[in-house]
Amino acid sequence: MSELKDRVGEILLNERVAKDVYKMVIAFEDLPQNIKGGQFAHVKLNDKSHLLRRPFCICNYDRQKNTVTICYAVVGEGTKVLSGYEPGEKVKVLLPLGNGFVPDKNAKKIVLLGGGMGSAVLPAIPTCNPEYEYYTYLGFANKDKVALEEDLTKVSKEITVATDDGSYGKKGFITNVLAEDMERIKPDVVFCCGPEIMYKALKKALQGFDVPIIVSLEARMGCGIGACLVCNCKVMRKGVEEYARVCVDGPVFKLDEVVL
Amino acid sequence: MSNLKVNIAGVEFKNPIITASGTFGFGREYDRFYNIEELGGICTKGLTIKPKQGNPYPRIAESYGGMLNSVGLQNPGVDHYLQTDDLLLAKRDVVVVANVAGSTLEDYIAIAEKMNDSKADMVELNISCPNVKEGGMAFGVLPASVEKVTAAVKKACKNKPIITKLSPNVSCIADNARAAEQGGADAISLINTLSGMAINYKTRKPILFNNNGGVSGACVKPVALKMVWDCFNAVQIPIIGLGGITSYTDVLEFMICGARAVQIGTHNFTEPCGARDIAKDLAQYVEENDMDINDLVGTLILNK
Repeated sequence: MSELKDRVGEILLNERVAKDVYKMVIAFEDLPQNIKGGQFAHVKLNDKSHLLRRPFCICNYDRQKNTVTICYAVVGEGTKVLSGYEPGEKVKVLLPLGNGFVPDKNAKKIVLLGGGMGSAVLPAIPTCNPEYEYYTYLGFANKDKVALEEDLTKVSKEITVATDDGSYGKKGFITNVLAEDMERIKPDVVFCCGPEIMYKALKKALQGFDVPIIVSLEARMGCGIGACLVCNCKVMRKGVEEYARVCVDGPVFKLDEVVL
Repeated sequence: MSNLKVNIAGVEFKNPIITASGTFGFGREYDRFYNIEELGGICTKGLTIKPKQGNPYPRIAESYGGMLNSVGLQNPGVDHYLQTDDLLLAKRDVVVVANVAGSTLEDYIAIAEKMNDSKADMVELNISCPNVKEGGMAFGVLPASVEKVTAAVKKACKNKPIITKLSPNVSCIADNARAAEQGGADAISLINTLSGMAINYKTRKPILFNNNGGVSGACVKPVALKMVWDCFNAVQIPIIGLGGITSYTDVLEFMICGARAVQIGTHNFTEPCGARDIAKDLAQYVEENDMDINDLVGTLILNK
């Protein structure tokens, strides 16, 4: 029996949830036992002109219904094609791939920090680790881009949303909003997913707080399983800069070791 | 009686399906999907004398029916390979082809000498990597240098069959096939990737950090088929064909054009079990038609 397999899933739902943002629910015959928040699904498109699979974080999953939810922004050709798929369409999916966010057993309070589409990584974390207290911070460019607030409200002790232009929630960068609350919350760890520019800001904003920051990286991928070496990112290990593979060494890394 | 076995330079493959260098690592990743012993052979990631970091990100871009890569030969170096994957792969019932590359003639000779100690069954000489500035490709362009590097490697690595992997980015690939044969190659494989570019019209920049990359995938198949046919008519040594194979019928086409075996590359990314599935489908086809797969080789009937 092989350890990994390619699964065929049926799309149950593929709907627009914000401007250029879609949520897709895919049903499978069975789900693998070991799904972790932060892991990803490698989705094959059904036309032969697009031969590379697309990696999407597993936004959430439901063991009763054997479904996996992905949430994606339409940014290029592949996601445009995907957004046109109707319920009933079948897709091939490799999952779960990558390492995922794993909370320390001694931790109690976890900050979930999402920037833009990065927020899509977060909901699966409380699903597979319900025993922790979650303080969720989501940042978006403007009101039109706000997504996943509802999903995360249900599982968070507190949730704060900010927009860069103040058109929804608090005004300003969510990293600064979080920094103001750090003293009060005293989280054991910060799990974050957003663009690289946000990680730079986060590093600065949380300087002086003794808290581990764990982030998820995004990359163009080929095989998704560690063989082709195209999804390289630079990390600092034992004082030496080297390339790691986002697909299997990540996508989750300690912020300290990522060379931004 | 039907037969799927092929023989290249004295090495027997249980079927003509080999995974292409750079798309299959050292077999470990795909072994999690299926038993790699179901394949005829595997080609390792390109090895260099010293570990190589490769090119900065991004290294991959998609194109219509294809993709471009510019990994730049990232690999742990030949010594690491000899101490690890070489030993693990030797225990498996699959032909192992160690792919080696270099930047200078001295590099090629040095790595070829190391390969004498390898347990790999064959050595594939990469003189056609388009993604490393000073190396590889430079040896693959002019017939004289193809012959020179092949001869040098052959001399330095006496106890293994040498496959010279040819670049399609040349004026006449048949001349280079002849040069490889002249240099003592036991076989040739073709085609490596076609030099290409993918750009973003919004930024007006190439997508790949390296600007250029190697095009592969289904879209290159017609180019590869013609080049295999051209080489088949130029040399006596066996040919391993590759370029855009995604099904067993593609394999049949390559064999008809003169390939004795084939390599599956980009298709592994689309379908992680793809190479295994092609081997299975091919086995079924051969059995249904009660044929020896070798009888197909070079049987192309040109229009008058």
